[in-house]
Amino acid sequence: MKNMTYTPTLLRSKKLYFAILAVAIVAAVPMIVKSDYIIGQVLTLMLIFAIYASSWNLLAYSGQGSLGHAAFLGIGGFASALLVIKIGLPPIAGLVLGGLFSAGIGFLVGLACVRLKAWFLAMVTFGFSVIIVSIMTQFDSIFGGVIGFPTIPIAPQVIPFYYATLGITVVSILVIFHVMKSKWGLAFKAISENELEAKMTGINTGKYRLLAFVISTFFAGLAGGLYAESTLFIQNSIFEAYYSFLPLIMSVVGGLSTIEGPILGSIIIVSINSFLPLTDKYLQPLGPLFPGVSNVGPPLRLLGLGIFLILIVIFLPKGVTSLLQKGYNYLRTDTTKTKKVEKNGKI
Amino acid sequence: MITSSGLAQALIFGVANGCVYILLATGLNLIFGVMKLVNFAHGQLLMVGAFIAYIVTTMAGLNPYLAILVSMGSVALIGIGMEKFAFSKIRGTDKLNEIFISLGLIYVFENVARLFWVNEFSIRIPSPLISLAVPIGDVAIGYDYILAIIIVITILIGLVLLTKKTKIGLAMRATSQKSDAAKLMGINVNRIYLFTFAVGAALAGASGTLYGILYSFNPTIGALPTIKAFAIIILGGLGSIPGAIAGGLLYGIAESITAYASSGFGIAGTWQDAIAFILLIAVLVVRPTGLFGEKGE
Repeated sequence: MKNMTYTPTLLRSKKLYFAILAVAIVAAVPMIVKSDYIIGQVLTLMLIFAIYASSWNLLAYSGQGSLGHAAFLGIGGFASALLVIKIGLPPIAGLVLGGLFSAGIGFLVGLACVRLKAWFLAMVTFGFSVIIVSIMTQFDSIFGGVIGFPTIPIAPQVIPFYYATLGITVVSILVIFHVMKSKWGLAFKAISENELEAKMTGINTGKYRLLAFVISTFFAGLAGGLYAESTLFIQNSIFEAYYSFLPLIMSVVGGLSTIEGPILGSIIIVSINSFLPLTDKYLQPLGPLFPGVSNVGPPLRLLGLGIFLILIVIFLPKGVTSLLQKGYNYLRTDTTKTKKVEKNGKI
Repeated sequence: MITSSGLAQALIFGVANGCVYILLATGLNLIFGVMKLVNFAHGQLLMVGAFIAYIVTTMAGLNPYLAILVSMGSVALIGIGMEKFAFSKIRGTDKLNEIFISLGLIYVFENVARLFWVNEFSIRIPSPLISLAVPIGDVAIGYDYILAIIIVITILIGLVLLTKKTKIGLAMRATSQKSDAAKLMGINVNRIYLFTFAVGAALAGASGTLYGILYSFNPTIGALPTIKAFAIIILGGLGSIPGAIAGGLLYGIAESITAYASSGFGIAGTWQDAIAFILLIAVLVVRPTGLFGEKGE
């Protein structure tokens, strides 16, 4: 009977070895790579967006796809930065309080969303991210987000901040993993699969949906605080729709409702954003074909990205993790069996 | 200064503004209703429609109001392409893939438009009626706004006739209710999907042309109208055409009055975009399925 109780931990999971290996690699990178740009702008950003995308993914896991997560990224960022600068709290306290503040607002938004389904919820969260910009602009004398202001990081840039971020990311992902695999996570999954049935089995759906909202917005706020610190600057542009769609893109690219999906997605998308602009100079020879455009690089590059996105959805509808899973399964099954299937199956 | 004639002007602007969104929202709603698909790249079709109308008016010298037809036709073809080569490929997979493929389409449309844009600034379709206006008190309302309202009403009547009185409209409604049963009744569901997408895209093309006549636009203009059209649909209730009309009018007027009032009081201009969402959240907290919605998805 003991095995029937649902208490899987990371220790029992096969993913533990992968996780330790991954963290070890990430921790070792600064010893090999000496570029401040790569570590400060690319790798740190990957870590921060891994938290952010995982927080979104957790909410989506409970069947609530937010389209306004940038609001919480921004609230966390502004709250932590303002607490440090105006009140003089130590940055690490500001970071945690920023997350808690974001979770508090998340609780209120979650209350408005509890009865809403799919697209209705998406629209309310998106609307909230638009409204928050109006509030920030209206009371700019307090927030100062129109022009923006510099932030104070928890650790000096680049290497110490990188390790601090790595530590926070590992802890955050572990907590999110634990939540997803706990009784709460089971309730979230039940709600996302069929809310009515979940209710009938005695799950207090409203309570669990709110819980998912609070946990998710806490980590989104935490990521926002870190993001503001990594760029050493914060501005109202953090609330842009782009930042709301980013965790969604990352989660879908990496694989929805998995723990590794958002992390992989963050690595892929941040890499694309950081390294794709380098291709601009190779696209310049095509300039004369489009006389109306002064710099032909960005539109051509983004066009390519769009086509890539469409193709990845068509050919890999379950994200990149499905590809990894397929590869893993292929390695595990013995080749004779695979050949048999190939013979009997198509082609 | 807030005056009654100024308020009347804001009201008419709001209705015209709302009409453009109603057209876009109805197209989106039609696609959603029949195909259960959310096309987040719908606003980009508006942008493409406006651009096509701009090209045929400035280069071929066509009257912009006749260009609506050209724009509708071409955008319908683009819509068919979108459905055939993108959305039909992922039918039956995760719903979030639709958002994702739409994002890819947004990148494609915006950047193709950027590559072929006539210059790097916002453009506006030149209307021959631009200098004509009806005076109301100490303000005036352009003929373009009034004509836009009339055109939208005409198109909506046409759409209602199409869905209620024709055989293909019947097939569309059947597919919308239950696609499996429609298939059993001998309806070629895939063809209905293509047709629906074409009609929805044509509506976006028409609304794009009107948008381009009333406002200036650039390749990235599409994102906000999509979200607004979507908010209108949610406000009115998913799949309901009267809901979309009521939502659109409410939305356009609220937006326009806020813009007018914010110039009179010390309110930031950004509330113009936020007001509609405040309205939306207020409605959804009271009625979780929207004004006219029966049940959620």
